[in-house]
Amino acid sequence: MSVLTVDELVQHFPIAGSKSVVRAVNGVSFSLDKGETLALVGESGSGKTTIGRCVLGLIEPTDGRIEYNGMALGGSRTIRSPELRGKLQLVFQEPAESLNPRMRVFEQIDEPLRALKVARADREKKVRQAARRVGLAEALLERYPAEISMGLQQRVGVARAMISDPEIVVLDEPTSALDPTARAEIIDLLIRIQREQGTAYLFISHDLSAVRHISHRIAVLYLGKIVEQGPSAKLFAQPSHPYSVALLSSVLLPNPRIRAGGRIRLAGEIPSPINLPPACYLAGRCPMVIDPCREKMPPVETVGEHHSVRCYRHAEVAALDKDFDSFGRFQAEADRILGAGIPASGTV
Amino acid sequence: MAETMENPKAGLPDAADMLLECKGVSVSFPRYGAPVSEALRDVSLDIRRGEVLGLVGESGSGKTMLSRAIMGLVPPPGEVTAGTIRFEGKDLGKLDEEQLRRMRGRDIAMIISNPRGELDPLQTVGQQIGNVLRHHLNLTRRQIRERALDLLKQVSIPDPQRRMDAYPHELSGGMAQRVVIAIALACSPRFIISDDATSGLDVTVQAQVLELIRSLVSERGTSMMFITRDIGITAHYCDRIAIIYAGEIVEVAGREVFFDDPQHPYTVLLLAAFAQNERLRRYWLGGDKVQEYTGPSPVGCPFQNRCVRVEERCRGEHPALLERQPGHFVRCHFPVERP
Repeated sequence: MSVLTVDELVQHFPIAGSKSVVRAVNGVSFSLDKGETLALVGESGSGKTTIGRCVLGLIEPTDGRIEYNGMALGGSRTIRSPELRGKLQLVFQEPAESLNPRMRVFEQIDEPLRALKVARADREKKVRQAARRVGLAEALLERYPAEISMGLQQRVGVARAMISDPEIVVLDEPTSALDPTARAEIIDLLIRIQREQGTAYLFISHDLSAVRHISHRIAVLYLGKIVEQGPSAKLFAQPSHPYSVALLSSVLLPNPRIRAGGRIRLAGEIPSPINLPPACYLAGRCPMVIDPCREKMPPVETVGEHHSVRCYRHAEVAALDKDFDSFGRFQAEADRILGAGIPASGTV
Repeated sequence: MAETMENPKAGLPDAADMLLECKGVSVSFPRYGAPVSEALRDVSLDIRRGEVLGLVGESGSGKTMLSRAIMGLVPPPGEVTAGTIRFEGKDLGKLDEEQLRRMRGRDIAMIISNPRGELDPLQTVGQQIGNVLRHHLNLTRRQIRERALDLLKQVSIPDPQRRMDAYPHELSGGMAQRVVIAIALACSPRFIISDDATSGLDVTVQAQVLELIRSLVSERGTSMMFITRDIGITAHYCDRIAIIYAGEIVEVAGREVFFDDPQHPYTVLLLAAFAQNERLRRYWLGGDKVQEYTGPSPVGCPFQNRCVRVEERCRGEHPALLERQPGHFVRCHFPVERP
């Protein structure tokens, strides 16, 4: 059963003093199951953050429907309504900016409980529990955000989001600001919490290695439209949309011999969401463009179980490179090279 | 440690091939009522002609401070307290400010991150490229404009004629980064330092910019120091890789060896962040370990508090940077060994 269904979501922003609008989200549909992670990937301007904000009810969508456990959001039912309070949470990109610099760590984590009017004695216990769960030592609860590292700050952000036992957490680039090792730690932490609490994640990111590791399904966004959606492993091994191929080919894994085939190179840069291309949004940059791409937006076609794509030439794209899965090849190499240093007793 | 780097049997070509030599460089910042803070400690690093060296480290590791030390731009009250930096045999520490000014931008150039923040918002692209040319070369206004236009073409900016008169806010992030690269290339420097130049860009744009930098650098035979947080980039764009941790070089090796046989536990930790195997991640990343508040370790190995392989010796004795195989240097008492 889906905890979240988004149907044909549209979000346009007017520009002050102008008749034109920023078309940030242009008809996006997806669903999210209990305990599942769906990643929204795409570059700046693809609309991924806007979708996250709509889901949370922070902005009123221009059009479309968002349902939470079968109840439509909107009108009088928002994230602040009693039946939804604490059920939807958010983890931000910049841990330092999302924490109050004048509150101790304890108070930051405690904040959602105060809003939910939990009794004082329970709050104390719950905060300590939540801190333990995200691996924060007791002593850190008395510190201010500026006194701890960015990785620890983000753990505070995760503890604060998780303390109200939410059903859905929107993670908006939670690792982008962090150093690579802290990044990996936060990802592992999020995976563990999901297993324990069964939380559903909407994971917004352009860090594709992290996405591959944490998500069950991936939706690739381009100019506010999902161009491809499918199971994580399948999409990484055999992308069917030229934009997915280009995106995955630009990932640089730390092994000089492993490089995804650069069969598709996009020309230029992402167009402005103020003047959208008339048909397929990628037509102007795509090396595989044919006439229909310039005339009509390609329909969504199903190409496998839970795998759909919006491209006239998806079959050819999928067949471009049989050995596309650089992530898979990298893992085999990583097992060999990094596994060698682990002592036999180091398996736990 | 400086001795080990000078070891002639290291398989390094002779000194004439060396472009930049850092020997035992330390940079310190005095602190009121506390011992000095050492941003760099005993850093020895060579860059040959035509070589691209990747310098990888996390925020605060000292990677930017090394580039500042090379450019003679350590912010006061910090200062270079030990060591020498030689560029084409010249000791840069002996040059006065005027000589350094003439060198910066002409012989050694820099590509910085956050290009839109670094470009002057009140000057056009053409003017900003022109500034460097005017400062270092004796050219007429017309020649400067022609050369600036030519540079914009070289960095593949579409419609360069029009972009010459654009202001930075009219450019996308990728486009602004190309302008910064054009400025760096303007006087055909022999050495370029790229400091996290692509970190703010989207991945597909980053790929385009990296390809551009690589082709321009290899065409001209320019040497480069490529500073980044992302070890993945170095595997594809650098000839040799150095890892810096807490102001010290902890591992250096040629690309193939480096990624096939990483030996410092910190290097392995950086690589394990990309792995999916749970056993690997749990061992190298330390799993669900409770995070304590830890400052730097004053005695012994600076990495001891985060190291999964830490032993008694690491807490008391500071490890030296040793050449374990020709050209492969590691600073660890218990480096990772493979059969």
